[in-house]
Amino acid sequence: MELRIDNLSKTYSNGIKALQNISLEIPTGMFGLLGPNGAGKSTLMRTIATLQDADSGSIVLGDIDVLQQKNELRQVLGYLPQQFGLYPKISAEVLLNHFAVLKGITNKNERKELVKALLHKTNLYEVRQQNLKGFSGGMKQRFGIAQALLNNPKLLIVDEPTAGLDPVERNRFYNVLSELGEHTAVILSTHIVDDVKELCTNMAIINQGQVCLKGQPLQILEGLKDKVYQKTIGKAELNTYKENYQVISEKLFLGKPTIHILSDENPGDGFSLINAELEDVYFSEIFSNTNAKSN
Amino acid sequence: MWYQIFKFEIQYRIKRPDTYVFFLFLFLFSIVGVDFIFQGSEMGLMKKNSPLVIAKTMGAISGIFMILASMIMGVSVLRDFEYNIESLVFSAPIKKKEYLLGRFLGSFAVLLFVFTGILFGMMLGEFMPWTTPDNLLAFNAFIYLKTFLMVTLPTLFFGAALFFVTGALSRNLVVVYTQGIILFVVYMLTKAISNEFWQAILDPFSLTTTTFATKSWTAIEKSTQELPFIGALLYNKLFWISLGILALIYGYKKFNFNVVKEKRSKREKQQTIASKTSYEVNDVVMPDVQKHFGLLSKLIQLKQFSWFYFISICKQSSFWGIVICGMIIILINSVNLGTVYGVDSYPATYFIVEELQETSIYFFIILLVFYSGELVWKERNAKLNLIYDATPMSSFMKLAGKYIGLNLIYVVLMLALIISGIIFQTLSGYYNYEFQVYFYGFFLEILPSLALYTFIAFFIQSLVNHKFVGVMLVIVFFIANIAMGLFGFDHDIYFFGGSSLGAYSDMNGYGHFLKPYLLIKSYWFLFGMLLLIIASLVSVRGIETNLVKRIRAVKYRLSKPLFRFSGLVLLAFITVGGGIFYNTNVLNEYWTNSEATAFRVAYEKELKSFEYIPQPKIVDVNLQLELYPETRDYTAEGYYILKNTTNERIKSIHIQKRIEGNVTLDSVSFEDGFTTDNQYKKFDYFIYNLNKTLKPGDSINMYFKQSFTTKGFESGNSNVNINNNGTFFNNSDLPRIGYTRKYELNDPDEREDYNLPTRSNKAERDDIRELVNARSGSDSDGINFEMTVGTSEDQTAVVPGNLLTQWTENNRNYFHYKMEIPIINFYSMVSAVYEIKKDKWMPQQDTLGSTVDLEIYYHKGHAYNIDRMMTSMKASLDYYSTNFSPYQYEQLRIMEFPRYAQFAQSFPGTVPFSESIGFVLDIDDEKDVDMAFYVTAHEIAHQWFGMQVEAANVKGRHFILETLSQYAAMMVLKQEYSEEKLLQFLETQKERYKEGKDREALEEPSLALVENQKYVYYAKGAINMYQFQKAIGEEQVNKSLRRFLEDWNTTNGKLKMNTNRYATSQDLLGYFRAVTPDSIHHIVVDLFESFKPVEL
Repeated sequence: MELRIDNLSKTYSNGIKALQNISLEIPTGMFGLLGPNGAGKSTLMRTIATLQDADSGSIVLGDIDVLQQKNELRQVLGYLPQQFGLYPKISAEVLLNHFAVLKGITNKNERKELVKALLHKTNLYEVRQQNLKGFSGGMKQRFGIAQALLNNPKLLIVDEPTAGLDPVERNRFYNVLSELGEHTAVILSTHIVDDVKELCTNMAIINQGQVCLKGQPLQILEGLKDKVYQKTIGKAELNTYKENYQVISEKLFLGKPTIHILSDENPGDGFSLINAELEDVYFSEIFSNTNAKSN
Repeated sequence: MWYQIFKFEIQYRIKRPDTYVFFLFLFLFSIVGVDFIFQGSEMGLMKKNSPLVIAKTMGAISGIFMILASMIMGVSVLRDFEYNIESLVFSAPIKKKEYLLGRFLGSFAVLLFVFTGILFGMMLGEFMPWTTPDNLLAFNAFIYLKTFLMVTLPTLFFGAALFFVTGALSRNLVVVYTQGIILFVVYMLTKAISNEFWQAILDPFSLTTTTFATKSWTAIEKSTQELPFIGALLYNKLFWISLGILALIYGYKKFNFNVVKEKRSKREKQQTIASKTSYEVNDVVMPDVQKHFGLLSKLIQLKQFSWFYFISICKQSSFWGIVICGMIIILINSVNLGTVYGVDSYPATYFIVEELQETSIYFFIILLVFYSGELVWKERNAKLNLIYDATPMSSFMKLAGKYIGLNLIYVVLMLALIISGIIFQTLSGYYNYEFQVYFYGFFLEILPSLALYTFIAFFIQSLVNHKFVGVMLVIVFFIANIAMGLFGFDHDIYFFGGSSLGAYSDMNGYGHFLKPYLLIKSYWFLFGMLLLIIASLVSVRGIETNLVKRIRAVKYRLSKPLFRFSGLVLLAFITVGGGIFYNTNVLNEYWTNSEATAFRVAYEKELKSFEYIPQPKIVDVNLQLELYPETRDYTAEGYYILKNTTNERIKSIHIQKRIEGNVTLDSVSFEDGFTTDNQYKKFDYFIYNLNKTLKPGDSINMYFKQSFTTKGFESGNSNVNINNNGTFFNNSDLPRIGYTRKYELNDPDEREDYNLPTRSNKAERDDIRELVNARSGSDSDGINFEMTVGTSEDQTAVVPGNLLTQWTENNRNYFHYKMEIPIINFYSMVSAVYEIKKDKWMPQQDTLGSTVDLEIYYHKGHAYNIDRMMTSMKASLDYYSTNFSPYQYEQLRIMEFPRYAQFAQSFPGTVPFSESIGFVLDIDDEKDVDMAFYVTAHEIAHQWFGMQVEAANVKGRHFILETLSQYAAMMVLKQEYSEEKLLQFLETQKERYKEGKDREALEEPSLALVENQKYVYYAKGAINMYQFQKAIGEEQVNKSLRRFLEDWNTTNGKLKMNTNRYATSQDLLGYFRAVTPDSIHHIVVDLFESFKPVEL
C-alpha cells in the first residue's frame, strides 16, 4: 500500500513554518527521511501518525484519508515516537500485552503468542519480567519497536530511533527493522546518513519544512558521479576555499580540515576525485538549500 | 549561592499560573471563611471578627488547605527529577546545603504569599454586604496579622518542612499528598486524647488549643479578648516548629546529592544482565493474529484499561498508606459510638458504619481529587502518550477505564474499612456483624456519590489540561455544590448528585428512601456518563493542547458508535429526569425556600387576626384509623365533639388542615348544617359557617375523614413518620382548630426583611391569652379518647387507652382502644412489627392506685436493655406514686420507633422511644450511668408533669414540665443506684449546660422564665434541682410537688378549677418557698429566678 502526501503545510502559532507544501509518495519498503534537526521531520511524522493536524494538504494511505479517518489509519499504524518513556513499575511483557489489547488483539491466546514472538524478535524475552525502570536506552528502543509491530502494521513510522544508541544496539535495532516484509511501508526519520544508506530503498531529504530531494539512494548517488572532489587543507585557508569553490562539507581528518567540493570539472589545485557518498548528497542538498535561502 | 537558588525558585514560581490560582482560591474562600467554618453552629455571643473566631477560622482553613502546601512545597525538589535535569543541577558547583536551603526558603516564601490569601480574604470578608454590623467588632487589621503570624505561620512552617522533605526524599508527588492525610490522622488522634492539656499541645491546627487556652473565659472575654500567646498555645506552636526543624534536619541528612549516580549504577547492573542474555534471533515466526475493532473488543479493552489503571494505583505505596491510616483511625476513633449522655452504644454495625463513613470521607476525597488527576495525566507523565494516542483505542474507553479503575480503588479502601470495622467489633466482643449493613453503608451510601464526583473530576481534568488547576477546580466544585445546597438550591433534579440516602434503621432498613435514591443516583450517573463522553472527546490526543482547537476537533473524534451511545445515554437521562420530575413536582408539591418563606409570610399576614378569636374546644375524639404500612397510607375517619367553652356565641368554626401535600381532608361536616368558606383554601385553612349558632356551653359533632396518601416520592427528605415498619405520628397531623402559630416565619432576620413584628418564642408570664393555653394554639383542655386502629397483619398498633378488643379481619390486625378517664389532647399513633415484653406493677398500698399493666414493644434483637427499662418503670411508678400522687392510667407502655428522630416522648400512658437512645446502649454498671433506666424514668415522670399537671404556654413552661421530670428521674436513679451515680449523671449535665451556653446567642434566661433553651431547662434544671434538694431535703421538695400537683391538676385541681388557667413557674416557686426555711429563702431566687450561671 502506498502512502501519498500532497501539498502538506503546517504553520505553528508562533509563526514557524514547519511544513511547506510537502508532497511525497512512499511505497512499501523502507523509506528514509533525512534532514537536520528542526527540519520538520517530527512534525511530518506526527501528522502522518494522526497526532497532529495539518493546515492544508492531504495524506492518503490506500483508501484511507489519514487526516479525516484517523482511527482507520491507527488500526494499521505502528508508531515509535522520537522520545518516549515507560511505566517504571511494570514489566515489558505486561506492558506489551496491554498495548496489544489496545491495538485490537483481543483474543487472549493469540495475544500471548504474539507478545512472546515479539519479545523474542526484539531480544527482550529474557528480561520480559523485569521492571521497565531498569531498561537501558537500547532495550527501551527495542521495546518501542516491539509495541509498534504488535498490530502487524501496514505503515510503520519510526522517528529518530537510533539517536543515543551505541553501535551494537543500533545494529540490533536495524536487524529488527530490516526483517519487515515487503508489505509494510516503513518511514524512518533520521539525521544520520548512514542509517538511510544501510537500510532504505527510497529516501527524501527535507530541510526547513521543504522537500529538497527525493528518490532512490543509488540513483541519487548517480547524479553526483564524478562531481565530488576532496582536499586536505590548512585551517587558515578554509574561508578562501569557501569563496572559491562550492564547499559541501568540511570535516576533520586526523586533526586537519578536509573539504569536499562540488564541481562539474576537475578543479586541479590538489583536489582529487572521490566516489560520492550519500553524505555528500545530503550536505550538498542542505548547503544549496540553505544558501538559496540566504541569498 | 543559596540566595541565587532562592531567587531562581521565586522567579520560577512568579511565572507559574498555579501560584496565583492558589492565592486567589484561598482569598476567595476566606472571604466566606468564618461563615463556612462556623456554619451550623451558633457562635454564641462571639462576634464574627472576635480574635478567637479569627484564630479558629485561620487554624481550620490552613488545616483544610494544607494540601495546597503539599502541592507547593512537595514539587520544589521533585521538579528537578520530573524534568530529568537533576544531573545538570547536581553536577553544578553547588553545595547540598545551599541547594536545599535555597529551594526550601524560596518555596516557603511562595507558600507564605499564597496563604496571605487567607489574611486578606478574611479581612475583606468583614466588609461583605451580607455581614451585619451587629455581629462585628470594630475592624482591626492588626488582630488579623497577629493571629496569622501566631496561628497560621507555625503550622505552615511545619507543613512546609514536612512536605518539602518528603517530596525531596520520596520523589513521588502522591506520597507528598498522603502526608496531608497523616497530618489529618494526627489531628484525629489528638481528639482521642483525654488529657485536655496534651490534646491542646499536640493538635497540629491548634483548634483545640485555642479552646483550651480560653476555657476559663467568660462570654464577653471570648468575644473581645485577644488571644494570649502564652501557655498551651505557645507550647503547641513551639512543639510543631521544632518538629518542622527536626524534619528539615532529617531531610538534610538523608538527602543524597549523588542520587543520579546511584541510579545509574543500578541501571548498569541490570543492563549487563540483559546484555549477557541477549542473543541474535533471526527466524522468529510471527504468529498470525486477528485484529478486532467491534463492540466486543471495545469491551475487552475497557476491562483491560480498568484493571490496568486499578493495578497501577495499587502499586503505589502512598495508596496503601491511606488504606492503613483509614484502618487505624476507626480503631482509635470508634471508642465512643452512638454515645448518649456519656454511655456508649453496642457496636452495632450501623454505628460502626456511620463512624467509618464520617472519618473516612476525607480519605476518599483525597483519593478522588488527586488520583483522578494522576490518572488523567498518567500517560503524559510517563511520556507514553504519543504511543497510546497513535493506537486505535477509543479515547472514551480509555477514560472510562480510568474511571472504573479509580472506583475499584474506592472499593479496596471500603473493604479495608469494613475489615477494620469487623476487627473492632470482634475486639469489643460483639459478633453480630450484619455484613449487609456494611455493604449498604459503603456501596449504597458512599460509592454512588464518589462515583458521581469522580465524573466531575475527570471532566474537569480533561478539560483544563493542567493538573493542579484541575485539582483546585474540583475542590471549588465540591464547595460550590455544598454551598448551593446550603442556600436551598437542593432539588434533586439540579442539585448535583441529589440528596443522600436516609438513615439506616434496624427497624425499617432503608425504608422508602431507597428507591428514589437509586433512581436519582442513576439520573446523575447518566449525566456523569455524558460528561465522561464529552471529556473523552475534548481530552488531549496527540500534541494539540489548545482547548478551543480541541473543541473544534470534536466532530472528527465523535465516532458513529459513540454518537449513538451518547444519544442513548442522553435519552435515558432525559427519561429518568422526567420520571423524577413527575414524582417530585407533579405527583408531589415542591417548594423552594423562597416559596416556603413567602407562604409563611402570607399565612401570618392574612390569618394572624384569627389567632385569638373565640373557638370551641375539642372535648371528645372518636376515630377509626386505618394504617397501610406497605403503601405508607392511612385514613382517619370519625368525629370530634366540639364544645363552646367561651362566653360568646360561635357562628363559624376555623379548621386548619395539616399543610402537607400528602395529607388531604376528604370531608368535614357538622351536624345541623353548615356552609364552607374557602377563601383561605391556599393555606389549607377553612371556615365553616354553622347554620345554627353554637351557644356558650353547647356542643357540636364534627365528622371528618383525612387521608395520607403516598404518591411516588418527593425531592429531598420525605416524611419519616409514616413508614413501612415503625410508623409514629401524633394528633398534630390531624385537623385542628384555628390559627396555627408554627406556620409562621421563625427566623428573626427574615421576619425583619418581610416587615413582620418581632416574635418571642414564649409569651410573657402574665399574658392572659396564653395562660389559658397548655400548649401553643391549644384547641382543647382535655378530651375523652377512643380509637380503633387497623394495620397490616404482621404489625401491632398502639395508641393511648385500654385495649378493649383485638381482632383480625381481611388479613389486617385491628385494635380498639379507649381511655376511661379524660386525657390531654395529645396522643400518639404507633405501628410496627413488635416483640412484646409484659409485666405488672402492684402499688405498695392500695391508696396508691390500682394494678398497672406494663408493656414494652420492641424490635426483635433490641432486647439488650428491656429489663432495665422494666425495672425503671416499676421504680418510677413506686417513687412517683408514693411521693407525688397515684398513677392515673391502667397501663404504661413503651414503644420503640425508628431512629429518624432521637428522643423519647410521653403521651398519656404511652411512651414512644427512639431506637437509637436506650435500646442499644451498651451499659456497663461499673462505669456508666444507666441511661436506659434514667430516660425511662424521665418520660414516666411526664405522666405526672405534663399529664396530671399542665403548664401554661408562657415563659417557664418547660421549667415545670422538663425540670421537674429531671428532678423526679434523678431521685429514682439515686434510689435505685446511688448518690455517686447521680453525681456522675450531673457531670454530663454540666457538659451539656456548658455546650449550650457556649452556643447561646442571647442572654441566658433564669429557669423560671426559660423559653426553649434546652441547656437551661434540662441541664441547668437538673443541676439546680439537685442543689435545691440538697439544701432543703428531698422530702421537703416532694412535699411541695405533692401540693402543687394537687392544686393544679388539669382535671380536678382546686386552683386550676378556680382560676381557669394553667400553672406557671410563679405558682410552682410559691410551693418551693413554702417548704424552704426562712434562713435560706434566698436560694429559691438564686437557683430559679436569677440569671446566675452554674458554677463549673
